[in-house]
Amino acid sequence: MIRLQDVTKVYGGGIVAARDVNLDIRKGEFVFLVGPSGSGKSTLIRMCLREERVTKGTIWVAGKDITTLPNWKVPYLRRSVGTVFQDFKLLPTKTVGENVAFALEVLGRPKSVTRRQVAQVLELVGLATKADRYPRQLSGGEQQRVSVARAFVNRPPILLADEPTGNLDPATSVGIMRLLDRINRTGTTIVMATHDHAIVDAMRRRVVQLERGRVVRDANEGGYESGYEAGFEGDDEQSPSTAAGGV
Amino acid sequence: MQRAAYLVGEAFTSLRRNILVVAAAVLAVFVSLALAFGALVFNELVRLNTLQWQEGNHLIVWLRDDVSQPAHLALLEEVLGYDEVLAAEYFDKSQAFTEFRELFADEPALLEIVDPVLLPTSIRIELTNIDLYETVQFRLLGEPAVDSISVQADAIENLLSVTRVLSSIGLGLVVLLGTAAIVLIANTIRMAIYARREEVGIMKLVGAGNWFIRIPFLLEGVIEGILGGALAVGAIVLGHYFLSQVPTDFFVRFQVSADFLVRWGVLFLAFGGLAGFVGSSLGLRRFLKV
Repeated sequence: MIRLQDVTKVYGGGIVAARDVNLDIRKGEFVFLVGPSGSGKSTLIRMCLREERVTKGTIWVAGKDITTLPNWKVPYLRRSVGTVFQDFKLLPTKTVGENVAFALEVLGRPKSVTRRQVAQVLELVGLATKADRYPRQLSGGEQQRVSVARAFVNRPPILLADEPTGNLDPATSVGIMRLLDRINRTGTTIVMATHDHAIVDAMRRRVVQLERGRVVRDANEGGYESGYEAGFEGDDEQSPSTAAGGV
Repeated sequence: MQRAAYLVGEAFTSLRRNILVVAAAVLAVFVSLALAFGALVFNELVRLNTLQWQEGNHLIVWLRDDVSQPAHLALLEEVLGYDEVLAAEYFDKSQAFTEFRELFADEPALLEIVDPVLLPTSIRIELTNIDLYETVQFRLLGEPAVDSISVQADAIENLLSVTRVLSSIGLGLVVLLGTAAIVLIANTIRMAIYARREEVGIMKLVGAGNWFIRIPFLLEGVIEGILGGALAVGAIVLGHYFLSQVPTDFFVRFQVSADFLVRWGVLFLAFGGLAGFVGSSLGLRRFLKV
């Protein structure tokens, strides 16, 4: 479903966010990307959305080489990939229902279809009764549910989540993880970047660990910790921005 | 249909949100187009009022109808023989009628009652030096075929040269102000995009097509341009109306044809829209990369 081959990303200023990354994610998988801040998790996700372009290498998403995709086709790529972010990215001036419907409206779906699908997906995330509330009237966990609903309303085959529980307390995070798990069971491939130990350890799914842009571990049914210490050997060419990573 | 309504609605919402900057952009379009349109109307007025005096006409010798045409042509031959004459041309009744029609294009009633036969024929003379007109005039007044002679007054020549200077200054101003208007529109579009960057970011995230995102902003610019154009056309048409009501003697007229106003008015509306389109395209260019 998603394949990265020898992917390298160097930002301006020589910061290396990905180094020869090879990764093959099959349909229906649930994959955690773990690693300290600055290890390149977000960059990988952004590259899969073509928000960033690779410096070298190739990425296939849903069978298409997206590194050579012409710009005008990028919207079509994004329609097949749902995204959830740490900061929810909801529009404060729209209600819950409108925020979710927005994702279908910009695709030009007819109103009747939009109404039905929005109702269904709000039911799925447990917010059917709060469709007319505004984001500021919801708790953080509820807002993230809205954001998941928006990502999934179009039934994309892939869902990318970048620290979806980063702003939530542990109990609320569990709720979001249950939701993502349920979505995964519908056959949706999910890739989730996180540095939440408890979640990764509890879920026992495939774990891809990144350190300074490199894949240093790729384990099925893995936990967060592995004892692998390569990242702390002191790699002088890296910028010092990774210092506070991890927990 | 529903999408079109959505896109237009977005454009108007955005216009309302930035009302002050939008007003500035619309005013800039208005001033530059009004200046251009005004200059055009002024030029047309000058042209209409000096129609007979262009293309090097210095003297018009009006001929008597009760003298035969061969006599007219004999006089033309004689005139062409004068040392002071550079060129001379016989202007028959049909040419006179064509000219009359252009002079009084906006007065169909007058055109209807005038019979070409009633219009005088004439000889149009270009002199080697306009200062010699008195000699030629004096000589010709004795001719039996000559009814009267009109001389291009210095005033007309001055008017024509002042018009030329004013036209080029006006053109320069129009170019400068037009550029300013386009830049201002580009700026309002940038501000609109900035104000809605969150929304635009989310639209991109959920896979909205590039044109779906761009069209409201483009429309916004085009609407600003057309508004400015409409104000300009309205102002000039109104100004022209009041000017045309000023009583003048029969041969000086502050009125251009309605046809002229409509034709150019529509064109200036289109100019406004085009300026808006160019401005918003410029404003969009940097911000909406994928």
